[in-house]
Amino acid sequence: MIKHHPTIDILTEHAAGTLPLAQSACVAAHMNYCESCARSVGQLQQVGAALFCAADPEPVGDAMLERVLARLDEEPPLSYANGARVGDDPTPALLQRLMRGDFSELSWKKVTESLRTSLIRTGDPQFEFSFLHIAAGGEIPVHDHRGAEMTLILEGGFSDQSGSYHQGDFIYREPGNVHAPRAFEGEDCICLAVIDQPIRFTGWKYRWMNPFMRLQAG
Amino acid sequence: MEDNNASPPNSDGGKSDKNGWTAPTGRRTDEWSETLVLIGAGEDRAAFSRLFRHFAPLIKAFALSGSALSASHADELVQEVMLKIWQKASAFDPEKAAASTWVYTIARNCRTDMFRRLQKFDTPLATEDFSPDMEHEEPFMQLQTRRSAHRIQELMRDLPPEQTQILAKVYMEGKSHAEAAAELDLPLGTVKSRVRLAIQKLQVQFEQTRDDVI
Repeated sequence: MIKHHPTIDILTEHAAGTLPLAQSACVAAHMNYCESCARSVGQLQQVGAALFCAADPEPVGDAMLERVLARLDEEPPLSYANGARVGDDPTPALLQRLMRGDFSELSWKKVTESLRTSLIRTGDPQFEFSFLHIAAGGEIPVHDHRGAEMTLILEGGFSDQSGSYHQGDFIYREPGNVHAPRAFEGEDCICLAVIDQPIRFTGWKYRWMNPFMRLQAG
Repeated sequence: MEDNNASPPNSDGGKSDKNGWTAPTGRRTDEWSETLVLIGAGEDRAAFSRLFRHFAPLIKAFALSGSALSASHADELVQEVMLKIWQKASAFDPEKAAASTWVYTIARNCRTDMFRRLQKFDTPLATEDFSPDMEHEEPFMQLQTRRSAHRIQELMRDLPPEQTQILAKVYMEGKSHAEAAAELDLPLGTVKSRVRLAIQKLQVQFEQTRDDVI
């Protein structure tokens, strides 16, 4: 049962197309798990459509119609099936597209004993978009977010002082939030994280890493 | 829903009247849904030209909104959107979406992609990858979807001007909440709450267990 959703503000910006690319990808991936938010976004799109139809039209000459008619025989560009699951894999097709494979085919970088990350290129120059893999029962060392962070649980789950999060849950953390997520016992946790500032470890044990934690946006 | 102005059935069993066309299932569709179906089924250029004459001026207004795109980019956008409509019309299902929502979604996606191209994003993703997949909606939910589109259009007329203004900034001009706040010289919190109030008035539905339901 999904209990944690994007806020109304985030869903509205997503429906209007004004969320940054990497954040939009994370919201879209949540909607793969959450029909309720997919429906809300559908209605928010209807709001956009109502405004669109009510706008004062701008004159468009017949010359433009002629130009378009002349182009109707062009080959349409290739595109992937929208939102469709590929095979039995529950991983959203969008993420499969980005990963071009399954989680075992990603190259993982070890950060601590319990935490590995895999950076994904989205092309968004402002945000770092990664998969996090937390070993069962393992913890991400206490850290704060100087920027905002969006997290989507893909497998397993974790808990921190604010709550307990499972597959499909979407978490948005404001700058200045300090937390130390711990994965549930018995199951590794894989999640998606989108950040615009590097995290900063606040505990003594890992603080030394901070100067080396550069944001890898793009 | 019987209509006194209905004329005799067409050969496909549907009925036409001045308000639109009733499909044999008894479901009423609007003129533009019918046109999209004609384009999708038969590559009907006359139907396409009719659709163009109605929607291209709206797409152009959308493209020019907020002055983020030049006149030539706006023209480019109009052509791109109309071509996409032609290419995708066979995928349009009048049971699942209103024609206007379908067209708007394509225009919005093309504009967002164009903004990103102009900012030189090098990405494997297109905005159409991010639309919710409504393919598996049950008929009851599809009915709710059609009703909500209708309801939203009706309720839009009763919104107070400052709420319409803020929705226009977000949807028509494509500004984020933060950008809208800067342009209107308002606190971000005020922008967010105006947007929420407007959406509440339009009766957009959200998951009831969430903690930020208005």
